[in-house]
Amino acid sequence: MSNVYIDQFPAEAKVIRAAFYSSFLALALGGVFGIIQTLHRTDFLRFMDSVDYYTVLTAHGVFLVISFTIFFLVGIFTWAVTTSLDRGLEDIRFTWGWYSLMAIGITMTGVAILAGFTDAIDMSASVLFTFYAPLQAHPLFYLGLVLFVVGTWVAGVDWFRSWWAWKAENPDERIPLPTFMVLTTMLMWYIATLGVAAAILLFLLPWSLGLIETVNPLLTRTLFWFFGHPVVYFWLMPAYMMWYVMLPKFSGGKLFSDPLARVVFVLFLILSVPTGIHHQYLDPGIAEGFKFIAMTNTMFLLLPSLLTAFTVVASMEHGARQRGGEGYFGWLKALPWRDPVFTGMALAGLMFAAAGFSGMINAGMNINYLVHNTFWVVGHFHLTVGTAVALTFMAVTYWFLPQVTGKALWSRSVALGQVVVWFVGMTFMSNAMHRAGLLGVPRRTAEPQYEGFEFQAAVGSIGELDAQIALGGVLLTISLGMFFANVVGTALNGRSDDLPANEYAGALSGPDDAPLVLDNLKLWTAIAVVLVIFAYTFPLLSIIDRGGLFGPEVIPFPLTVESATTLGFALETAASTSFESAGEIATSALTAVMR
Amino acid sequence: MRISKAALLVVIALTVPILVELRTVLAWVNVELTVLESAVLGMTMILAILIWALWPQNGRGDPSRSG
Repeated sequence: MSNVYIDQFPAEAKVIRAAFYSSFLALALGGVFGIIQTLHRTDFLRFMDSVDYYTVLTAHGVFLVISFTIFFLVGIFTWAVTTSLDRGLEDIRFTWGWYSLMAIGITMTGVAILAGFTDAIDMSASVLFTFYAPLQAHPLFYLGLVLFVVGTWVAGVDWFRSWWAWKAENPDERIPLPTFMVLTTMLMWYIATLGVAAAILLFLLPWSLGLIETVNPLLTRTLFWFFGHPVVYFWLMPAYMMWYVMLPKFSGGKLFSDPLARVVFVLFLILSVPTGIHHQYLDPGIAEGFKFIAMTNTMFLLLPSLLTAFTVVASMEHGARQRGGEGYFGWLKALPWRDPVFTGMALAGLMFAAAGFSGMINAGMNINYLVHNTFWVVGHFHLTVGTAVALTFMAVTYWFLPQVTGKALWSRSVALGQVVVWFVGMTFMSNAMHRAGLLGVPRRTAEPQYEGFEFQAAVGSIGELDAQIALGGVLLTISLGMFFANVVGTALNGRSDDLPANEYAGALSGPDDAPLVLDNLKLWTAIAVVLVIFAYTFPLLSIIDRGGLFGPEVIPFPLTVESATTLGFALETAASTSFESAGEIATSALTAVMR
Repeated sequence: MRISKAALLVVIALTVPILVELRTVLAWVNVELTVLESAVLGMTMILAILIWALWPQNGRGDPSRSG
């Protein structure tokens, strides 16, 4: 038997394959909607009505940041647990159960979104990825999301079961690093998803089903961001895992420090959730003091990212020197740039550094006011989830796909070109988005170029920024095409006997150097829960106290052009009637006074 | 060659963020480049990198240990 993953764990390889292919389908759909909206918004190619822009934007967001990322990460988490514990999952039917829940859930959500393109079905969910009230989606959208998230919860139980079984057989062993990373990520996810579960099950779904009349939009919005910021770490932590356990291996060396990696994941577990309010700096109804606490927590989150930058670069340097690299910077030449897995991850990490800087600006309460709800924010998250995560996932696919299919990669050269084209495309696109945001160009609109108003560009012009965004979008689409050519080409290849062994990087400083307390998951979970209680109890009580649990009466959206016209006419009539009445009263009062 | 072809590809790719940010940086010192001038500057930078990379280093051939 070879040392390839599919031969070691054939049943698990099937599940991972299914998760990967689901992820790639979502990536393809999300990518198509991405280029459509890019060309529409920049006014280079318009073939749809601007009203449909929001359906396209919802599909782009949900398919990419929910289904592409999460399906991929459950695949690599399954690989990480089975490989590092060196045991199969406890019950493969249970595993297929959570995969099916996720697949059914996202299909329901996807149908609800895509139905918005046709009037033949009375269904729509053009509520964007953030699904803020008063935007209202069809119940199928929320039900699908619930099933999808429950699927991820059950997946976490599956991985914990493996660990518990392994621990019973190895009571004195330290948790292997990849499994440690999976478990801490899932604990963070369990805490984080309580917010979105509450928002959907207690408020949005009953509201959408007509069981309750109104919701408190600020409350559901706050509950969304309770989940909405840590979900970023749910995407990022698997990418970090790849940088810690795979990148050193491809560099030709070992991870610099296993204990430091554990510290980083513990910090993410305890600090990811009590920060969500920093997305709501401009929301009225939340006291500035609570926002200040959220900002402080967010700034602490920079620490694990900076530790990661140090550890990963140190590991790469170690690998390069093992390969004969010399000098202060000369070792960079010795890195395996010909390997698309390495190059893709290295470029992703580099762009993440830029994302960290723009993230600090987002996190700063005062300077955030300058860029809040502008195109800057879109530029920022295209560097984080759109590159640090997506490019890392695409790059490691070139190693994982042969492992779970037993087939050689179709073309390493195309793969290398793909990751480089993604880097260049995203550079053009995100740079222009950031710059446009600084000019005040808004996000979440199909028509950013208001009539009778000119944005004043400090450098270049709005037209140039639009051209740069469109160029970036086209390059990213080409890169996606190259990626899918490789995926399909690999799937069509025959079985290969010449594949690398399934293994991950060792560590220069191993788990024995890490204090035992780092493996005390109960302690870190308890601290995380306490921090969440500190950060959220008073803001939530204050929001409920001011706006009520179910809020004041709101008008359900989508608000159509017809209903807006009717509403406008009604307001105009009411206003003119009032003016007439007021005029009559004033006239009679004046007449009376004059008499 | 001083570096491998793959490393050269990556170095050329890295000129893109430098170039697009350089345009903004130069504007701070009142040097405003048009898109065409930026493109010409970019081509010049890439040409310089190509000459540096392809020029034989002490008469040696391809770097044997680089990726």
